[in-house]
Amino acid sequence: MMRPSAHRYIGLSERWRAAWRSFRIATWLGWQIESNWTDPFLFAVYSMLKPLASAAILVVMYGVITQAQFQHPVFAYIYLGNAFYIYVGAVMTGVSWAVIDDREHYRTLKYIYVAPVRIPAYWLGRGVARFLTGSFAVLITLTAGVLFLRVPLHPARVDWPLFLLSLVLGVGALALMGLVLASISLRVAHHFFLIGEAVAGALYLLSGAIFPLEVLPAWLRPLGFMMPITYWLELIRRSLLGDAARAFPTLAGFSNGQLLGILTGLSVLFALVAAVVFQLCDRQARDRGLIDQTTNY
Amino acid sequence: MAADLAIETHQLGRIYTIRNRRERRIRREIVALQDVNLEIPRGELFGLLGPNGAGKTTLIKILTTLLAPTTGWARVAGYDVVREPHSIRPRINMVSGGEASGYGLLTVRENLWMFAQFYGLPTREANRRIEELLCRIGLADRMHTKVSDLSTGLRQKMNVVRGFLTDPEILFLDEPTLGLDVGAARDVRRFIREWMDAHPNRTVLLTTHYMMEADELCDRVAIISQGRVLACDAPEALKRRLQRDARLDIEITAPNSLTAAALEALPGVRKAVLTDVEGGARLNLVLEEDSVLPGVIQVLTEHAVQVRHLTKREPTLEDVFVDLVGRTLADSETGGGHGHGS
Amino acid sequence: MGREGDSFWAPVPKVGGWRLFLKTVVARAYPRIIGQQRERSWIFFDVFLSILAVSAYVFVYRAIGAPEDYVGFVVIGGAMTPFWLNVLWSMSSQLYWEKESGNLALYIMAPNSMMAILLGMALGGMLGTSLRAVAILLAGSLLFHVQYTGGNVFALGVVFLLTLTALYGLGMMSASLFLLWGREAWHLANLAQEPIYLLSGFYFPVKNLGFWVAVVASMIPLTLGLDAMRQLLFPAGAATGFLPVPVEVAGLVVLGVLFLVAAWGLLRYMERIAIREGRLLEMRR
Repeated sequence: MMRPSAHRYIGLSERWRAAWRSFRIATWLGWQIESNWTDPFLFAVYSMLKPLASAAILVVMYGVITQAQFQHPVFAYIYLGNAFYIYVGAVMTGVSWAVIDDREHYRTLKYIYVAPVRIPAYWLGRGVARFLTGSFAVLITLTAGVLFLRVPLHPARVDWPLFLLSLVLGVGALALMGLVLASISLRVAHHFFLIGEAVAGALYLLSGAIFPLEVLPAWLRPLGFMMPITYWLELIRRSLLGDAARAFPTLAGFSNGQLLGILTGLSVLFALVAAVVFQLCDRQARDRGLIDQTTNY
Repeated sequence: MAADLAIETHQLGRIYTIRNRRERRIRREIVALQDVNLEIPRGELFGLLGPNGAGKTTLIKILTTLLAPTTGWARVAGYDVVREPHSIRPRINMVSGGEASGYGLLTVRENLWMFAQFYGLPTREANRRIEELLCRIGLADRMHTKVSDLSTGLRQKMNVVRGFLTDPEILFLDEPTLGLDVGAARDVRRFIREWMDAHPNRTVLLTTHYMMEADELCDRVAIISQGRVLACDAPEALKRRLQRDARLDIEITAPNSLTAAALEALPGVRKAVLTDVEGGARLNLVLEEDSVLPGVIQVLTEHAVQVRHLTKREPTLEDVFVDLVGRTLADSETGGGHGHGS
Repeated sequence: MGREGDSFWAPVPKVGGWRLFLKTVVARAYPRIIGQQRERSWIFFDVFLSILAVSAYVFVYRAIGAPEDYVGFVVIGGAMTPFWLNVLWSMSSQLYWEKESGNLALYIMAPNSMMAILLGMALGGMLGTSLRAVAILLAGSLLFHVQYTGGNVFALGVVFLLTLTALYGLGMMSASLFLLWGREAWHLANLAQEPIYLLSGFYFPVKNLGFWVAVVASMIPLTLGLDAMRQLLFPAGAATGFLPVPVEVAGLVVLGVLFLVAAWGLLRYMERIAIREGRLLEMRR
C-alpha cells in the first residue's frame, strides 16, 4: 500500500504534468489560430502597422507641442515606455480573450472544461502566440525609433542581464494579470471590445508608461505605485538607456535590486490574486451555468 | 398541374467547388445533389429520408433560396428559386434542428417578436401568436427567460415556434426534433399534424433521421442517398414493394461456426444478417418465399444451433431503406459494416 | 380540438413594403439597445476604462506643457472613440458573427430587406454608443475642466449627425466586405483601430499630418467630423482646423451618400455570391 505522503507526491507531479500538457497544447492551438488566417506577408504587415501607428500618435503629439525636440530625454522615456507597453495589451488580451473566443466563437469552452486540462495553464498557453507577435511589434517599434527618431539605443551599452531578467519577470506579471481578466471573462458577456485591450488602455494612465507619475493628481499616484508595470518599465528603461533613464526622478531613490525585489513581490501578490479570482469566478460561472453560454447581441 | 404544386424540381443538381487553402489553383468538386426531380402538391407533408451527407440540407437550402443550384431548376410556390427569391421568401419559413437562432441576451418572447417583425406581423398579433404557440408547444413558462439560459432542447422548441409563428405557406423542417426528448419530440410532431390538418393548403417538407417520424407524419417520402433520390412514394406504397418477401427475425443459441454468408448461399435467401446478443444471436432473414424456411432450419441444425423464437413481420420503412441503399440508416451514418459475417 | 372556431388557426395578417422595412429596422435595433442594458459590465470596461485611457493622453499633453485646448481635443477624440469601435466591431464584423451564430441565413431567407437589418444594427449601435460617448464627454470635461466656446449648437448638431450617418454608412458597407473576407475580418477590424486613431486625428488636429495625408484620411468620416467639431467647440480650433467647416460638412454629406449607396450595392453582391457559392453561409469555426 502506498504511504499517504507518496500518494500526495504523485498527485502533485501528475498535476504539474497536466498543467504542462495543457500549456503546451494551448500554445500550439493559440499559434494556429493567431497565425493561420493569412499569408506570412500580410501577417507581417499587420503585425507592424498597429504598433507603429500607436507610436506615431505619440510622436505626432510630442512633435506638435515641442516643435520636434526628439533628442530630449523625455522623448526617449515616452517612446520606450510606449514600445514596451505593447506587451501589456498583447499578453493580457492573449490570455483573457481565449475565454470569450472558445465560449462564443468556437463553442469549445465546455469541452476544454470537461477535459483533464488545467484551465489556468491552458489560458496561459493561449497567450503565448500574442506574446510572440507582440515581441515582433516591440522590435519593429524600437527599430523605427532608432532609425528615424534617433532614440538613443546602443546594443553595446545595454545591460543585457538586467534587461532579460526584467523582461521575464515583467511578462510573467502581465500573464498573471491576464489570468485575473480571463477569470473575470468567465462571468461577463461577449462585448464588442477586448477586455485585455480595454484594461491595458486604462493602466496606460497609471503605470508611468508615457509620462512620469508626478504628473498624475496626488490621489491617483498610489495606484501607480501598486502596479508591477510601473517598476517593470523603469527597469527596462534603465537597462536600455543607462543613466539617461534618470531623466525622471519618480523611482530614482530605488536601486535596480530593490526594483527587481518589488517587481517579484508584486508578481507573487498577483499570482495569489489570480488564484483567488479564478476560484471565485470559476465557481460562480459553474453555479450559474455560464460555461457554455452565448451572449451575442 | 404546375399551379397546384408547392415545390417542383427538375434535374436539380449542386456541385460544390472546394479550393485548396494554400494552393488556390487546386480545386476539388463535390457532388452534393444530382438529378433531383420532385413534385410536391400543396397540402402535402413530404419527407426526405437519408443519412448525413446525403444532400438533404443542400436541397433545403436551394428551396429556401439560400443556395443556387448548379444544374436544373426549382420552383417554390410557383416561383423560380434563382430568379424570384423575393416572391418566395414571404411565403416560406425554415427550422433547422441543432442550430441556435436569435440572441442569447434576449428573452424567448423578445427573440420571437423580433423574427415576427422581419415577416411584417403586427406587434399585437405577433405577441398573441407567440403566447399561444408557446402554450401549445409547452414553453409558456419560459417566455421571459433569456435564451442563453435555455437548455438545448428548449432552444430547439423556440426555434420550432419561430418557424410556425409567421404562418408560412410552405415550411421547411430540417431535422426539427433533433436534440428533443421523446415527449418534446412527440409534442412537436403532434403540433405539425394539427397545423397541417387546420390548413389543408399548407405544405411541409421535412427531413429526418427517424424512420418512425417519417412513417408517422409523412404523406409521401423520398429516400435520398449520395445526392440522388432513389425512391419516392407514400410510406405504405414503399413498404408494399417489399411485401412479396418474407421477413423473419429469429432468436437462436450461440451461432458456433454458422455465418450469414453460409445462409445467403442457400437458394431463395435474399439477405441474412447475424448479430450477437447476450446469450446467443439474432438472425434477420429476407426470404423469397416462406417455403425457403425449412432449408434454413436444416442449416441451423447442422451447426448445432437451436431456434428459441421466430417472428415473421411486416416490412418497415427501415427495410425499404436497406433494400434501396444496401445498408441500414445507422450504418450509413457511421460508415459501419453490415453486421456479423454478412 | 374544435379548430373551426379557434382564432389561432385563422390567417395571419402581414404588412409589406416600407412598413415591413421600418419594422425590420426597429426589430434589429432592439437587441442592440436591450442587450447592453441586460449586461452592464460594459459600463466598467467601456466607459470607466475608456476615461482612464483618454486621461493618459491628457496627461501626456500636460507633461510636455501643451496649451489647454489640446486637452479638450483629446476629450472630444475620446468621446468619439466608442463610435469608431462600435462601427468596427459591431457593424463591420457583425454579419460575420451573425453567420457564425446561424442568424444570417434566417435574415436572408426572410422577406425583409437586408439593408433594413443593417440600418437596424446601425441605429441600435448608435443609440447604445451615444450613452458611452456622453459619459466619456461629461466625465472628461469635468475632470479636466475643459472650456468650450458657447458657439453654434445647431451647426454642431448637424456636424455630429452627419458624421454618424457617414460613419455608420461606412460600417454598413464594410459589413458585406468583411463577410466576403471571412475569418480575416476580425483581424482587419483589429488592424483598423490604432492606424485610424492616428490618421483621423483622435488625439491631435489632423492638419499636423500634412494636407495630402489629411485628405486621404478624410475617407474616414471621423476625420472631417472631429475636425469640424473641434473648430466649433474651441477657441484654438479655427487656427488648428484642416478645412473650413462648410467644406467639411459638404464632405461628410458626400461620404454619407457614397457609403450608403455602396452598402446597398455590396449587400446585393454579397447575397448573390452567398447564394451562388454557398460558402458564405457555412459556419467556419
